[in-house]
Amino acid sequence: MGEQTTLRSSRLGRMAAFAGTGARVGMNYLKHYGQRCVGAPQDENLLHERNAEAVYKTFSELKGGPLKLAQMLSIDQGLLPDAYASRFAQAQYSAPPLSYPLVARTFRREMGKSPLEIFDSFSETAAHGASIGQVHKAVKDGRAFAVKVQYPGVAESLRSDLRIVKPVALQILGVRESDVEDYFREVEERLLEETDYKLELQRSQELSAASSHLDGVSFPRYFPELSCRRILTMEWIEGLALDRFAKGSANSEERDRIGQALWDFYEFQIHTLRFFHADPHPGNFLVRDGGLVVLDFGCAKKIEPEFYRRHFRFLDERLLDDRDALLSSLEDLSILLPGDTDAYRSRIAGLCAESIEILARPFRKGFFDFSNPTFMRSIYDLGERNRRDENLRGFRGRRGSPDSIYVNRAYFGLYSLLHTIGARVHTRLPDWLRES
Amino acid sequence: METREKILHAFREQVARHSELPASVIALCEPLGMSERDFYNEFGSLEALESAFWEELVAKTIAAVESGAEWEGFDARQRMLAFLYAFLEKSLDVRTVLLFRFRHLSPVASPEWLQGMERRFKGWAFSLIGKGVSNGEIAGRGRLVVLYPSALYLLLRSVIDFHVKDTSPRFERSDAYVEKSVNLAFDLMRTQAIDSAFDLLRFLAPRACGKS
Ligand SMILES: Nc1ncnc2c1ncn2[C@@H]1O[C@H](COP(=O)(O)OP(=O)(O)OP(=O)(O)O)[C@@H](O)[C@H]1O
Repeated sequence: MGEQTTLRSSRLGRMAAFAGTGARVGMNYLKHYGQRCVGAPQDENLLHERNAEAVYKTFSELKGGPLKLAQMLSIDQGLLPDAYASRFAQAQYSAPPLSYPLVARTFRREMGKSPLEIFDSFSETAAHGASIGQVHKAVKDGRAFAVKVQYPGVAESLRSDLRIVKPVALQILGVRESDVEDYFREVEERLLEETDYKLELQRSQELSAASSHLDGVSFPRYFPELSCRRILTMEWIEGLALDRFAKGSANSEERDRIGQALWDFYEFQIHTLRFFHADPHPGNFLVRDGGLVVLDFGCAKKIEPEFYRRHFRFLDERLLDDRDALLSSLEDLSILLPGDTDAYRSRIAGLCAESIEILARPFRKGFFDFSNPTFMRSIYDLGERNRRDENLRGFRGRRGSPDSIYVNRAYFGLYSLLHTIGARVHTRLPDWLRES
Repeated sequence: METREKILHAFREQVARHSELPASVIALCEPLGMSERDFYNEFGSLEALESAFWEELVAKTIAAVESGAEWEGFDARQRMLAFLYAFLEKSLDVRTVLLFRFRHLSPVASPEWLQGMERRFKGWAFSLIGKGVSNGEIAGRGRLVVLYPSALYLLLRSVIDFHVKDTSPRFERSDAYVEKSVNLAFDLMRTQAIDSAFDLLRFLAPRACGKS
């Protein structure tokens, strides 16, 4: 059995590990959540490729909470150099297996019965690892189930990990805690939500019912009577992980179909439901019979109407020709604050215009080829330039809305998934941005 | 209830309610309507009584895990894990007594009142090691294999020590501790690392290892 050998579990051990590499990561992490438009001081060598290895190693040794953070970073390909992004993207496959006796104990404690009293068979070793739990395959009455079991103590260690990462990150960044407090709170809340499988069950059922009409998208069935806080039971899906599909031999028609399903799914959630699956990494999708199966609604986010209107104004390319409208939209989102100097205002306006131009490209012609590498390249470059921009360093104030973290994350994730698949998709701006 | 069970029960109640050991045999037996003679028919002393109390906790744990449906298929590592999880579960029924007795006890101390538990556990661990050696999980050539039951006993004591200090919700940290420490112990026993360390020590400090 390939069970874990060394695990630093004490608070002190984690602390030590973080002091080394965590600082770097904390910074990148904050960078994203500290708003795309807002640059911050950054030591160039910290982002050197060979650090990716070290950072990755620390995270995967610590498991649990930090691994989750690493995954959030991996989604943020627009801001992380390729070396980091691809390392972290692998993180979801490398969590440590729980022993079967501990799985059985969790069952007995949470459900009052051992796995074999509930199922006809139950795989002793996990079929898949995940960042905060593992998935077992079980059979009952000839039906196959995927049973997700959470590691003990995850919620607790997550809290202490964040407490450790925070001051280190703040100090290196030279940001005041009060300026980014909202961002930390938002991330902490979402991460903690993910440790509650009851909530995940409820959301999975809601979101899959609401999206059931979509073409080419399906969901596993969930079984509330076989689930609880630490155990989540759903139908077993025999499919191909999305990254394998992307690397495999699928033809362009098949790729386009999966890509379109993915696009439609996100478009419907974000613009119609206003409640979305905020974790678009390749481990959360399977391809079965040419269709897309969506797993894992642990991280889901609601979009309030007020924020929706303010945020998605930026998809409107007409802002590019209307400077006053652009500035007032930036004020609405409090990316610009009343006290900002004119020089600063025009700097930010310029940056935002640039990012609107890039991020709205897929919508422009109603059809977009994501396999085109220049598009992803320009997203990376934009992030890279913002990061290095001297002028953006060191300004203060609470800026932007923490609600944008997960919306941005979803879009970055979506764009880069579509790119890896190499899909061409039909796109459409929401109606309210097309008219008037 | 048998006399023996009644006395064991009274012992537990006494310690749990008053956070102190029974002052004397009389003090324990009188409220039960028993004579000293009844007591000494079962136990040779108050220490022997307590020793039996802890021994029984281990014995019941062993009986519970060995009757589980998965037991036969488990390897030695899984059996050790299953034992410790079951022990933690059972000890919840006597947590107050456990706290009272173990909170201030060093995990390497070996007081009179733990003799029964130690004997019972080591006997069980001896056959566990045998199983591990026969299926290749534990390196069988080492000189120290005979000491492995003692090492596992130490592990049990360290788990108890961790558990009585654990304040995490549902004692989830104790579960994690069990998982990690058992894995480490079996990794060491698989590679004979303990033996090699002992060998080196003996080379460097022969006297400390009982070889002049
Ligand atoms: N219903 C299912 N059928 C088959 N495989 C599944 C199923 N659900 C999950 N898996 C597999 O298990 C892996 C982990 O599951 P999931 O993503 O739900 O866990 P998680 O703890 O939320 O992890 P993460 O946060 O890393 O995504 C998936 O990548 C997938 O390969």
